Amino acid sequence: MKSLPILLLAAASSLNAVDFDRDVQPLLAAKCLGCHNEKLQTAGLVLESRETVLSGGGRGAAIVPGEPDESLLLRAVRHDGELKMPPGGRLAESEIQLLSDWIRDGAAWSAGAAAPRGRHWAFAPPERPERPAVSNPGWNRTAVDEFILARLEREGIQPSPPASKQTLIRRAYLDVIGLPPAPEEVEAFFKDERAEAWSEVVERLLASRHFGERWGRRWLDQARYADSDGGSRDEPRHIWRYRDWVIDSLNRDQPFDQFVVEQLAGDLLENPRPDQVIATGFNRNTLLQIEAGTDREQYRVEMVYDRVDTMGTVFLGLSVGCARCHDHKFDPISHREYFRLFAFFNSTDDWDDSRPRFRQRSINNLHEVHAPLLEFGSPAEIARRDAIRAQIVALENELVAYRGNAIPAKGDPGLVERERLIDQLVRSMPRIDSTMVMRELDEPRETFVHESGNFLNPGERVVPGALAALHPFEGRENPNRLDLARWLVDRKNPLTARVAVNRIWQEYFGLGIVETENDFGTQGSPPVHPELLDWLAVEFMESGWSRKAIHRQILNSAAYRQSSRSRADVEERDPRNRLLARQNRLRLDAEIVRDVGLSVSGLLTPTIGGPGAYPPQPETAMLASQVKKSWEPSEGEGRFRRGMYTFFWRVTPHPALMVFDRPDSNIACTRRTRSNTPLQALTLLNDTAFHEFYQAFARRLLETPQDDRIERAFELAVSRRPDAREVAVIQRLVANERDALQTKPAEAKLLASDGAERPIELAAWTSVARALMNTDEFITRE
Amino acid sequence: MHLKRRDLLARTRRHFFRDCGVGVGRIALASLLADSLPAAPRAEVNPLAPIKPHFEPKAKSVIYLFMAGAPSQLDLFDEKPKLSEFDGQPPPPSLMDGKRFAFMERMSEAKLFGSPWGFKSYGHSGTRVSDLLPHLGSVIDEIAVIKSLRTENFNHAPAKIFAHTGSVIAGRPSLGAWLTYGLGSEANDLPGFVVLQSGPRGPRNGPIIWGSGFLPSTYQATPFMPGPEPIFNLASRPGVTHERQERTLRAIRELNEMRLDETGDREIATRIASYEMAYRMQTGGTELMDLSGESDLTLEMYGAKPGEASFANNCLLARRLVERGVRCVQLYHTEWDHHQNLVKGHEKSAGEVDRPSAALIRDLKQRGLLDQTLVVWSGEFGRTPMAEGGLATIGRNHHIDAYTGWMAGGGVKGGQTIGATDELGFHIVEGEVHVHDLHATILHLMGLDHERLTFRFQGREFRLTDVAGRIVKKALA
Repeated sequence: MKSLPILLLAAASSLNAVDFDRDVQPLLAAKCLGCHNEKLQTAGLVLESRETVLSGGGRGAAIVPGEPDESLLLRAVRHDGELKMPPGGRLAESEIQLLSDWIRDGAAWSAGAAAPRGRHWAFAPPERPERPAVSNPGWNRTAVDEFILARLEREGIQPSPPASKQTLIRRAYLDVIGLPPAPEEVEAFFKDERAEAWSEVVERLLASRHFGERWGRRWLDQARYADSDGGSRDEPRHIWRYRDWVIDSLNRDQPFDQFVVEQLAGDLLENPRPDQVIATGFNRNTLLQIEAGTDREQYRVEMVYDRVDTMGTVFLGLSVGCARCHDHKFDPISHREYFRLFAFFNSTDDWDDSRPRFRQRSINNLHEVHAPLLEFGSPAEIARRDAIRAQIVALENELVAYRGNAIPAKGDPGLVERERLIDQLVRSMPRIDSTMVMRELDEPRETFVHESGNFLNPGERVVPGALAALHPFEGRENPNRLDLARWLVDRKNPLTARVAVNRIWQEYFGLGIVETENDFGTQGSPPVHPELLDWLAVEFMESGWSRKAIHRQILNSAAYRQSSRSRADVEERDPRNRLLARQNRLRLDAEIVRDVGLSVSGLLTPTIGGPGAYPPQPETAMLASQVKKSWEPSEGEGRFRRGMYTFFWRVTPHPALMVFDRPDSNIACTRRTRSNTPLQALTLLNDTAFHEFYQAFARRLLETPQDDRIERAFELAVSRRPDAREVAVIQRLVANERDALQTKPAEAKLLASDGAERPIELAAWTSVARALMNTDEFITRE
Repeated sequence: MHLKRRDLLARTRRHFFRDCGVGVGRIALASLLADSLPAAPRAEVNPLAPIKPHFEPKAKSVIYLFMAGAPSQLDLFDEKPKLSEFDGQPPPPSLMDGKRFAFMERMSEAKLFGSPWGFKSYGHSGTRVSDLLPHLGSVIDEIAVIKSLRTENFNHAPAKIFAHTGSVIAGRPSLGAWLTYGLGSEANDLPGFVVLQSGPRGPRNGPIIWGSGFLPSTYQATPFMPGPEPIFNLASRPGVTHERQERTLRAIRELNEMRLDETGDREIATRIASYEMAYRMQTGGTELMDLSGESDLTLEMYGAKPGEASFANNCLLARRLVERGVRCVQLYHTEWDHHQNLVKGHEKSAGEVDRPSAALIRDLKQRGLLDQTLVVWSGEFGRTPMAEGGLATIGRNHHIDAYTGWMAGGGVKGGQTIGATDELGFHIVEGEVHVHDLHATILHLMGLDHERLTFRFQGREFRLTDVAGRIVKKALA
């Protein structure tokens, strides 16, 4: 009984000769190099080059090439004798076998001349690999398939047949736009037997404006986007225009390199357009602590740390944050290099000690705390607003002075008049939309290495610079964020494209080609299909960084279109389906669980963008907030916006989102977890918002003649017709509900929506709606 | 081709055995079900079904009373006459040289600070306890006081993560998650791992410290809120009667089972189990929170008032939870972080926890539950023998080299003191108990070998105790 990575490793080693870069180096890095590196040289032994391995440490040579049994390293990992390594626990048998095979084959240090000695695979730029030959080329639909099939054939596994057409179209809709297809769309696709029927669906979906919502939301996970600051007061902030910019960027298939540059440094472009400045909101999604008495410099530094770490995780797939306190233990990122990256982000205009403190009277000064802002009002409007603001502040100061000496009685004319004026001014103040953006200070801050990661303990002074282990950084003399952004999307950058395509891939299959989507370093898991990853990365760059081009490659592939049914024949060998001999069933994202409910019930307000929305939530949901906040559920269209628009308070997030694993927005999230808990069941069964969907779905169903109603219900809810057993389940439920409700019509009134003409029928079908929308299938894309 | 139900259950057995690395009990359960198919309900593929421990356990449940913010051992348990004698004097340089603290800048002017409170001997054991904790003093013969706890990070957030997960980096499973993963739960209508919070605000890091990390999310804690609806959406909507809920759930289950047959995806089996647990929680959770059946005497003993969000109510709820078979109950009480204002602050916080903590021990004992319930009490670290300089009122800084906690109940030898610190309470001089050791001991008392309770993740085996952990033999009865 072994877990999968080991199985794969074992399979790989039995099929081909051991590959040092792919098989041995990662193992050494994970298990040995923490101690036996150049720096620590524990027991005098360094396992970083063939020479030092052969010369060995205090106990002599670690390896005798060709002689596994004579090699000290192998005896140590076998626990054969006094020396037992590694100390953290014995290696798996397959890992020991791997080392043994490698030594037996001569302990070659690197696979070929192409890869520099011992260089980690992900630090060498991707090159377009040869497309592999397969024995059943008829299966292939896009280049993707050749790589998948070649690997399956090597293992002697057949791919799965395609999913049914109903499953396929529902899958594509949920994956690409996050909404289910209408029954008419399913029907049309079902009847369309032309070869291009599928690719037309794909094109239609990629052109839908909802594409940007579905995929934008996942980008916003990485951007840690939220509508409040996450501090102890959790004050609201205006930054939804950044969210809308992301949606728009995806919809117009903005080249990914520009997408990166504008988010990191749109403000530094020459004569930037407003949208390019809005894009810099990416790095204003940091947490902020504005409580009195906090050390603002400490929190400013925290923000910069977050920006550096996020840049590493999101674009490079590297845990650069590990180098904040010391050199990275495993990857080639030094402590000093961390602070050279830090220097790029250290001169931005943030709420520091030079700014006014947070003040809250009749109007607060969040605009001063949140600056720099991009404001969307005419200069005249802005001037008027500022003038009124100044008047209010002046009046407040007068009030403070007036109250200062003695406490005036209630109704004191001096108080009343000023308070009335302030009220009036507050009401007359024009509301001007704004969004938080980045701005560089005129005078850059100096950056010093923080010894042990403590900003109070400055060490050597550093200037901006990138990571030496990757491709060279060719910035100007005084490089800034723009140079860093361009370095990230340089054609020679070995990571950015790989990391980006891997994250698209993982949404379509559940796991990435590299499972550790946030760690492409030596501690990460190696790619299951390394050539495919490189092929996609190169394709991505050569297509002009078109994200839709990658979506197309995947969506049109045979691999994507496979059935997701479990297969007993591969379950034992590949229990986590890493080789993709089938598709995976995936539970929908938190927001999409809501979206599907909205869509199926016919309530959805499909408006794209705009300020946050307030769907109903449990009344106690805001109690955890230190500063009292109200949550008045929107009425009318605003009540039925897609889940991604729900106003997101970081401290008191909407419970129905969190229960389905919506990330907390405190740090960049590159992959969501998919839990399966009783709290999810309670939400779907009992939450007010969902109950409204069930009522509306029932109303919708009553429009269909009774004889067709069950079929219609399935078509709407799960995009397919029910089988006889399923029909029987619903028939029995309807019958029992009708019986029960006849005797207690009062329950019907409570259960169904107000003012219903046929309350009993409506209530009975509300129960049906509730049952269908609580099935696993309803919240799963198959 | 698709898998038949029997194959699925067989696969599920393998899943639990292989992927979850768990013991024989769960396998036996699954096979029992497989043998009785198809008549028996199939939804009992319950990931929280009880599992046989590695060996005969001393305790079946843990209640961890976590004192968030770090109480001062020197003012509660670790009496230091010398500290009072040298009160106001600078600490010996030998203790301070090269030492790092939180709020380092305030430590250059630090002065030794004798406890403002007196200590008394209690019980047969004569254990000395501060005047801040008279009630705990009265049950001291049930308690093993550990004066030699040690941890690794002097900031609250990482130290809390360490105290719960054995790592300073967020993302590892918490103690409670490991326990429910290793043992399942005996509770039929409540989650296996419950969190209760009191004090002005929740503990730092929130859900991270009771999360399941890389273990399946089934093992994370469910935080209960005060009031009749401890979990969001626990109550059914108006018009959804008990019978209606049952009827609807039956239809949901039947539809889910058909889909399970069709797809062979074991997530559906988990979904079915989740719905059954949700339904049971609707009854169990509401019943749990209803304190009307508790006698006045009991309420008074704890100082509990129905409907209040207090440590006292939470201690009473903790007893009710373990009575119902919940495996791990984690209480958090804030706020103990008294860099200044220690006198008032500690009086208040100690006043809030003293009586209920003692009542919990007494109540469990009265009901014959103390033998099978392990009660643990600690903060994330302790506090310095010195007062910090430059602050308006007196208080103590964070101290990680020595602090005090205690254990009582299931398998613990009460009425004793473990470990000792030097005359000033700066360093441990005897019987160090590192956080890993405390974890190893808790697992041991629960019947789990901390070296065998492992989970494979990203290519290596992880444990709660990392690569360390020794059982504190002296604590065992």
